[in-house]
Amino acid sequence: MSTVAPFVRVLDAPPVLARLYPRAVTSRPDPSADPTRTALEQRGVRVDADRLAAYDRVCGFPLRDDLPPTFPHILGFGAQMALMVTEPFPFRLVGLVHVRQRIEQSRPLRLGEELTVRASAAPVRSHRSGAVVDLVAEVGTGDGEPVWRGVSTYLARGASAPAGAVADDAVDLPMPDAGQPALWRVPADTGRRYAGVSGDVNPIHLSTASARLLGFKRAIAHGMWTAARSLATLDARLPQALTVDVQFAKPLLLGSTVQHVAARDGDGWRTAVRGRGGIPHVVTRVLPG
Amino acid sequence: MAPALRRAAIVGGNRIPFARSGKRYAQASTQDMLTAAIDGLVARYGLQGERVGEVAAGAVLKHSRDLNLTREAVLSTALAPTTPAYDVQQACGTGLEAAVLVANKIALGQVDSAIAGGTDSASDAPIAVDEGLRRVLLDLGHARTPQQKLKAISRLRPGNLVPAPPRNSEPRTGLSMGEHMAITAAERRIPRQAQDELALASHRNLTAAYDRGFFDDLVTPYLGLKRDDNLRPDSTLEKLSSLQPVFGRSGRAADLAEPTMTAGNSTPLTDGAAVVLLASDEWAEQRRLPVLAHLVDAETAAVDYVHGGDGLLMAGAHAVPRLLERNGLTLQDFDLYEIHEAFAATVLAVLDVWNDEEYCRERLGLPAALGTIDRSKLNVAGSSLATGHPFAATGARILASTAKLLSERGGGRALISICAAGGQGVTAIVEA
Amino acid sequence: MPTQPTDRYAQFVGTAPGTWLSSQLGLPRPAELRRAQPGKRVLDGPALVVGTGLAPLRADLADLLRAAGTDVLDELPEEAADHGGRLAAIVVDATGLREVAELEQVRAAVVPAFRRLAPSGRLLVVAAAVDEAATVAAAAVQQGLEGFVRSAAKEARAGATANLVRVRAGASAADWASTVEFFCSGRSAYVDGQVVTVGPAPAAAPAQERERPVAVVTGAAQGIGAAIAEALARGGAHVVCVDIAAQGEALAQVANRVGGTALHLDITSASAPAALAEHLRTRHGGADVIVHNAGITRDKLLVNTDADRWASVLEVNLAAELRIDDALLETEGALHAGARFVCLSSLSGIAGNRGQVNYSTSKAGVIGAVRAMAPLLAKRGMTANAVAPGFIETAMTARMPVATREMGRRANSLQQGGRPEDVAETVAWLADPRSRGVNGQVVRVCGQSLLGA
Repeated sequence: MSTVAPFVRVLDAPPVLARLYPRAVTSRPDPSADPTRTALEQRGVRVDADRLAAYDRVCGFPLRDDLPPTFPHILGFGAQMALMVTEPFPFRLVGLVHVRQRIEQSRPLRLGEELTVRASAAPVRSHRSGAVVDLVAEVGTGDGEPVWRGVSTYLARGASAPAGAVADDAVDLPMPDAGQPALWRVPADTGRRYAGVSGDVNPIHLSTASARLLGFKRAIAHGMWTAARSLATLDARLPQALTVDVQFAKPLLLGSTVQHVAARDGDGWRTAVRGRGGIPHVVTRVLPG
Repeated sequence: MAPALRRAAIVGGNRIPFARSGKRYAQASTQDMLTAAIDGLVARYGLQGERVGEVAAGAVLKHSRDLNLTREAVLSTALAPTTPAYDVQQACGTGLEAAVLVANKIALGQVDSAIAGGTDSASDAPIAVDEGLRRVLLDLGHARTPQQKLKAISRLRPGNLVPAPPRNSEPRTGLSMGEHMAITAAERRIPRQAQDELALASHRNLTAAYDRGFFDDLVTPYLGLKRDDNLRPDSTLEKLSSLQPVFGRSGRAADLAEPTMTAGNSTPLTDGAAVVLLASDEWAEQRRLPVLAHLVDAETAAVDYVHGGDGLLMAGAHAVPRLLERNGLTLQDFDLYEIHEAFAATVLAVLDVWNDEEYCRERLGLPAALGTIDRSKLNVAGSSLATGHPFAATGARILASTAKLLSERGGGRALISICAAGGQGVTAIVEA
Repeated sequence: MPTQPTDRYAQFVGTAPGTWLSSQLGLPRPAELRRAQPGKRVLDGPALVVGTGLAPLRADLADLLRAAGTDVLDELPEEAADHGGRLAAIVVDATGLREVAELEQVRAAVVPAFRRLAPSGRLLVVAAAVDEAATVAAAAVQQGLEGFVRSAAKEARAGATANLVRVRAGASAADWASTVEFFCSGRSAYVDGQVVTVGPAPAAAPAQERERPVAVVTGAAQGIGAAIAEALARGGAHVVCVDIAAQGEALAQVANRVGGTALHLDITSASAPAALAEHLRTRHGGADVIVHNAGITRDKLLVNTDADRWASVLEVNLAAELRIDDALLETEGALHAGARFVCLSSLSGIAGNRGQVNYSTSKAGVIGAVRAMAPLLAKRGMTANAVAPGFIETAMTARMPVATREMGRRANSLQQGGRPEDVAETVAWLADPRSRGVNGQVVRVCGQSLLGA
């Protein structure tokens, strides 16, 4: 699955998402573009305690010297966005749906480590509802030790993959076998708070008004917030080296009350956030190693 | 039938380095720090997944959301999630009082093992809303009809929106702890130089203890901090004596004497957490864990600092003679003394009154003075003036260090005295 | 699969254009190595077990592999058989070979099978000890097998390895079982072209292992040390994780995750040996496994190596280790009966390395110490072995200049760097109570590096 783009562009500064989103609306997709051509790299990235603490607060992790396994995603997200907006990209960003996320880490990253963040894309695959593309974020130490890798799978509904593209064969994650679910009241300002720590200022998360412009009834939670909040409940039980698969199902409307379930599954865990009638919003599977 | 009593063993302790408020741990909550301190203890003694009898800890500066602080911290640690926990709060005596509580349960056979401690953050202190606003918000919550809601809101005044920060003063006197201490220091004529010398000794002793590796099995670094950042290894008497006094510059203290208390001989606001592991001897033996010392007895006293003329931080001086009498000991029967350095003047004032025939007779009801102590046995690994003083954490820090000091010297007896807000003092005897 | 220290070149040649480009240019194409996973079998396909000469061990070898769930074949299967006729392993019992002419049997058995070796397949030759050969010819034949295996290792493709296990007279199947299993399994993924001698377990070894053995790992807070702690804990040990106090937070997290204990100790301090011995005696009733992993580098060319750089490296990497060994061996109760020492050396200590004269000296010294200790320990039923990692992808190696790093990665038969877990698995094999017959060995985890002997 890993790819290596022939061209690596080194970013001087972290991409500013507030500037990328407006461009995302106006930029024209180039259906013939090969997203795997370029990778973006940012060096000398350091996480300080303030930023980590703010993230931990919003997502429910205790403040430790380790970065939670979901944290590095926010380090790579800007570069992923920039890859989709500033480089030739086959799909329109508006309307791309984050359907799955995979996280692999060989150990937790640590506060104060000098990090290199790299974003690249995998070849487009065909999908029963359109086409999917994987945006890959890799975070390693400045020394060159790769530690964390995140694969964000985006679905472009109705789009078509190039001829000969491989088909996306992912299957739905099963729900955990769980007893009593926990109740979460998801505050209406969650999207703004997570945007504050992650920089992901996509209007669909910020307010009812801005979400309506894009066709949602109310603002919806960031998928990665929901996933992080869910994994935070496992906390000390999360393995050091792990693989997490996350499936984003139905959007979670902010201000609603949802159920959270978590259950052991062999050496690992399964968790899910579900709404009325048990309809899943987010399902995860955590495996050690 | 009452079960036979057994003495609680002190197995060991762990704390994170203490940090001056607003610095390294500015973003850490009390719960984060307590979690880190417990996790370090769990790692040191291999308690992963273990159901410890109970965890008792607390914080002095506590958010309303932290109503179950200790239990919430335990759930984030590597301890078994089936470990029960509860919060304790007795101001600066919290850590030691928590240890006494769990030691008593161990003594009674109700639990076999326990963790006691405390955590405090002056950086992450709770800020309360104005009392008027609080009432409005509560009424708003109870209101059923729009009219009731409107009525509640109409009582709101602009002044209600100013938050009320936590006050560092005694509710009944309006004086800060430093001002209270300054009065006692002036009454007892505690010289400035003696205070600065005590502060210097604290920094030197703590530096030496770090340098010889004493804290290698008592401290686990956190957020990149490896030693207490209040520690000044290069401090000198000249530097300390050049500081301007900050307490006792007005009021009763100033009427009595020149001000003597500076930032150098007073503890700064500090963030940190500390825990100590106690158990029955059998529990420790089964796990091949060391027994550093035993917590033998404890006494907590309170003084009437409001109307009775006692110093706010002098309750330890009252508790100790009761503790000595119950155990048939004299003040000189100890190998180590750990008197919490809230201020250098606190320690000196306590020692001063114990050697004062009149004070001992009239205030402590003793036939004679308790006498002096060998100062070379006092706070030998440094104390709060050098480490800093995250209120609730101090007791566990002192108890674990004391137990290790006794164990290192191959046995002996130590006296611990910790003063606390509200005119209270928690004292204990530890033996190895 | 977790993200591991992979390298971009390896990823690139895995892509279609990369494959094309690398084959056009004749560039190396590193394969993804089969590595052990919990619950996975020793071998994931059939093993061909052949005997040459008298082949006294053939039956035992076949039984061992069968017991490990492997389909054992006597002869080469048809191409159309299951797995496409691919072999997960070729195991040759050559212990009975005495005459030069008999070597032909090895050639004849291996040649047709070798090309059928699956990716990450194993060629394992079991031979006799050269110094026990009855005749000059027998010694020559047994020594000759080393050349055979080392060259085959260089020709093996797609992550396949070739290794040689020498079995001394008197060693039973129980003595060599763990070693044969290790070399067949994915645990030895990065061990290639190596020769290991197994003897009979010492008579003084304890009859029974403790239910939860105690292992000490120095430098356990990160990198290879943390990986070793994890591997030993997976094997059921209680791991005492040792590191300096400044690493305390990382150490606590490693200890909590492996269910062990954290011990803050500066191994170079004068009090450390006694403190560790006392800790092991009182807290654990003695240690079963001691892994000397803590190490530092202070690289400079020889002409720029000052006394400080020299002293600090020799102190941490060698002197402290020797003092600790002395204290543990002298303190009654610090070691449990049949304790096993595993000392981390380095390829630099075998082959030398530019800019690492201090480090290489210390790591060569470790090998000397292990060889000297082994016979002494054997009398007490204990063992000492050294593991010499080659290019392992860690923060430490990543500090090298790019050209040196790329060179290090590619200059071995597997054409890639190893992973910390490869070293850890090798340590775990040597720490296995069933490996008591392995003593005084130096095992390189280097993918058969071109450097060194």
